[in-house]
Amino acid sequence: LEIFHFEFLAGKQVLLRKIQVGVVASGNLEVLIEPTNAVNSTVRVRTSVPGYRNEWTEILRTFFERHDVAAAIEINDGGASPPIVLLRLEQALEESRNAQ
Amino acid sequence: MRNESFGEKTARERAQLLFEPGTFTELLGPFARVESPHLLIQNIVPQSDDGVVIALGKIRRRKALIISLEGGFQGGSVGEVNGAKIAGALELALKETRGGRLVFPVLLFDTGGIRLQEANLGLLAISEIHSAIVELREFVPVTGVIAGRVGCFGGMAIAAALCSFLIGTEVGRLGLNGPEVIEQEAGTAEFDPLDRLLVWRTLGCRRRFDIGQLDQLVNDTVEAVASAVGERISIGMTRSKPGQLPRTRDIEPQLQKVRARPLADLENDRTQVVSQPAAPHRGRLWFEVLTRKLAPAEASNSVLVGDVLWGKEAIRAISVVPNPNARFPRAQHGQVGLEEGWRIAKAIWDAIETDDNKIRRTLLAIVDTPGQAFGFHEEDLGIHLSLAAAVEAYIAASRCGHPVVALIVGRAISGAFLAHGLQSGEILAFDHESIEIHVMSEAAVARVTRRTPEEVTALARIVPSTARDVRSFARFGGVDRLLQISNPAEPDAATIAHVQDEILQAIQRIRLVPTSRRQFDSLPASESRKMSFQVRKQLESLWRATDS
Repeated sequence: LEIFHFEFLAGKQVLLRKIQVGVVASGNLEVLIEPTNAVNSTVRVRTSVPGYRNEWTEILRTFFERHDVAAAIEINDGGASPPIVLLRLEQALEESRNAQ
Repeated sequence: MRNESFGEKTARERAQLLFEPGTFTELLGPFARVESPHLLIQNIVPQSDDGVVIALGKIRRRKALIISLEGGFQGGSVGEVNGAKIAGALELALKETRGGRLVFPVLLFDTGGIRLQEANLGLLAISEIHSAIVELREFVPVTGVIAGRVGCFGGMAIAAALCSFLIGTEVGRLGLNGPEVIEQEAGTAEFDPLDRLLVWRTLGCRRRFDIGQLDQLVNDTVEAVASAVGERISIGMTRSKPGQLPRTRDIEPQLQKVRARPLADLENDRTQVVSQPAAPHRGRLWFEVLTRKLAPAEASNSVLVGDVLWGKEAIRAISVVPNPNARFPRAQHGQVGLEEGWRIAKAIWDAIETDDNKIRRTLLAIVDTPGQAFGFHEEDLGIHLSLAAAVEAYIAASRCGHPVVALIVGRAISGAFLAHGLQSGEILAFDHESIEIHVMSEAAVARVTRRTPEEVTALARIVPSTARDVRSFARFGGVDRLLQISNPAEPDAATIAHVQDEILQAIQRIRLVPTSRRQFDSLPASESRKMSFQVRKQLESLWRATDS
């Protein structure tokens, strides 16, 4: 198990609601995403597979480059591969942009 | 959407899909962040909802509570937090239903049973879930659904058997002990988990339906499950077959089915009893000294039942003991097996049905059992049902006014303890190093949690709920009184008199305040089961808020 905290300069787009997607299963993950007014977007990652700080940094940088959002994110990870992580993040973001 | 697989949905999606659109309100959802406090310390990533969804909404215009377990997270196992969410929600549904407003509970099982990482806390939670289901189903039908990839095992299989109506799909499985655990406890020859055909032919919901242990088998689609659940709720309390007893009350026919299994099929498993053990079985010894009755070891009976009068108090003592001639070899050494569960139930219902309302005798469960019987035939015939019958009988006895007291004189383990002892008004135990209380053998825990046996032993020091000693269990409120006994294997007259006196005092306390539920606001449980208590409190205020 390893826990990481990341911060990225918050983007312009504001989320409409908080959303949870996914399950902490083997090769899968849970993402909780919430709107934030802070200067920075924050991400807390708790992962069952230690030793991949650089990979997490890369994935999250990619995500925030693609999306100009302000968000507080929590990730509970059961050892998902990078594409799965990105997929869940995109899924959470899309749902949190819809009012209902 | 309606034709998609129900089993492939997440727990939350399943709950949402069963409610009328727009009526889903989740209580203690992911953003409440009430997660298990016991997992990070064990290097396990928690989930924000601890693997269960509790939601209120409408089904067929009636108020319904859906409890949906997430099989993907830790095998859908039940620990302290999700266990308290489930038990607490059922208790609130009971309160509201008793108050005149029916709440229809629906349990979506997708669970391997007790979460081994939280062990005894899961065990206590599951016993509370059992009693809530039994009480609820007097007022409303409690619907169970087994439609997930994990299936329904362990103490939660007992919970499923206690439901008023049980629905399953082809992807579901139901059994007390999973094949992996049986393999660990009894060897690959007993039940090979890799033999998929055998596993499904034994545990699959289709087979459970064929032998009458499931009420309805439906296709694995959202539409099929939703309409089966909806239909149940619109029928309400009317039974499909009038006068039919719940399956847990079907004692004589079930015992006959169990005894009809040919001895030749069972003979291969029989182990030779080399010699009589040096010390007599504690359960037998204490049965004999307390009832002043001799129970000869050669008598072919593994459930001892004896009535005794202590002053004005009539006591029926029940003890499960080793029986070298047991029909089912896996229940030879004092395990609670198929016959034992049904026989316990029979002894209790007999007391409930014969006693006058004014003088209801005490039921005394004398507990020394190494666990439930792990075996192929046990699963094949449905041992979960037999244990559920015993669980229900003890709960019914308390509710009818029989004081129920458990006396732990040796081992009190897992499913056997759920069926024999845990549903008592008071639990007394000897404060002695020889007393063992836990949920699974260390070897099996090691295998299932992928740890070494040394790691499992070491864990008990940092996670008290995985400890095996009686004092740890008492700290969780699992034992009401610890009795100071220096030699439980060879008690003298004074010791016996002391134990008898403690039992009589427990009976008096129960007669004064007849409640079968452990009190969370009483010490020491409130400290060591803080989360169990807090979760209930939070759930209650959120539940109330849904009405305003």
